[in-house]
Amino acid sequence: MSEPSDQQQRFDAAAACGSDCEEALERLEAYLDGELPETDVREIASHLTACYPCTDRATFEEQLRSIVRRDCVDDAPASLVDRIRGHLSDLPTA
Amino acid sequence: MSDTTAGKLTDRDDTEVSPVRQELSDRERQIRFEAEVLPMLDRLYSAALRYTRDPTDAEDLVQETIVKAFRSFHQYRPGTNLKAWLYRILHTTYISMYRKKQRRPQESFQDDIDDFSFYDEVARSGTGSAEREVLEALTADEVKQALADLPESFRMAVYLADVEGFAYKEIAEIMETPVGTVMSRLHRGRKALQKALASYARTRGLIDGPLEGEQEAP
Repeated sequence: MSEPSDQQQRFDAAAACGSDCEEALERLEAYLDGELPETDVREIASHLTACYPCTDRATFEEQLRSIVRRDCVDDAPASLVDRIRGHLSDLPTA
Repeated sequence: MSDTTAGKLTDRDDTEVSPVRQELSDRERQIRFEAEVLPMLDRLYSAALRYTRDPTDAEDLVQETIVKAFRSFHQYRPGTNLKAWLYRILHTTYISMYRKKQRRPQESFQDDIDDFSFYDEVARSGTGSAEREVLEALTADEVKQALADLPESFRMAVYLADVEGFAYKEIAEIMETPVGTVMSRLHRGRKALQKALASYARTRGLIDGPLEGEQEAP
């Protein structure tokens, strides 16, 4: 079993976060979605630069999205692509 | 946002924005359709599979979507978002083909879902795994299954945002729902996805302890 103290320290740091963190984390989702106005983006970016626990959390959320993006895709079966190509040449146009 | 669109429309030459390609021959239209739409078949199939959760149904859905898109391609305005336009057709086609069959049960989560945090679960775990290690250890099948298990409206909001990268406003148009609803579905859907993934991680011994909101074994 490895030393849990590093993990625990980080968790405590996150839990002990101040109101700046709370504010930043509230808007983190919209921030990562690129849906915040420019002024908010600057505020949060500068908070993240200064705050390790929040950066760590943001990084985790980003990684989570990237595994979803990587794993939840499938290629269309070749037979479907062929069928659609064939279909298109037969279709009457509106 | 709609102001800028309207502004753009008036700034531009009328011929540029008139519903397109009526002047094109059938053959020309077909060539353009094939060139612009067929490269997106993989993405459309992938989305269809998320909607239907069944490969055969997903193929049927894509085929029907393409037929509809082709028939209304003359209404598509070039310069507007082709991808969002196609997904909108995919969404409405899905509803007309499949949703009638199965009455949707009430889609909801436990009230405490908003408080769930996978990050906190990993951080408080005594296994000492780093967050990144835990995420990387999850298999593609687990991630796919976790998404597939979300109720439909949450599943699709998460898919459209996180996999396809659509903006809230685009998702709202695709799913025909207010932006506020999209934001809440995304938030709760992501939380529920995290909870499912945390559950896989715990089963695999990557993290320990009971999950928040779950009953401890007696």
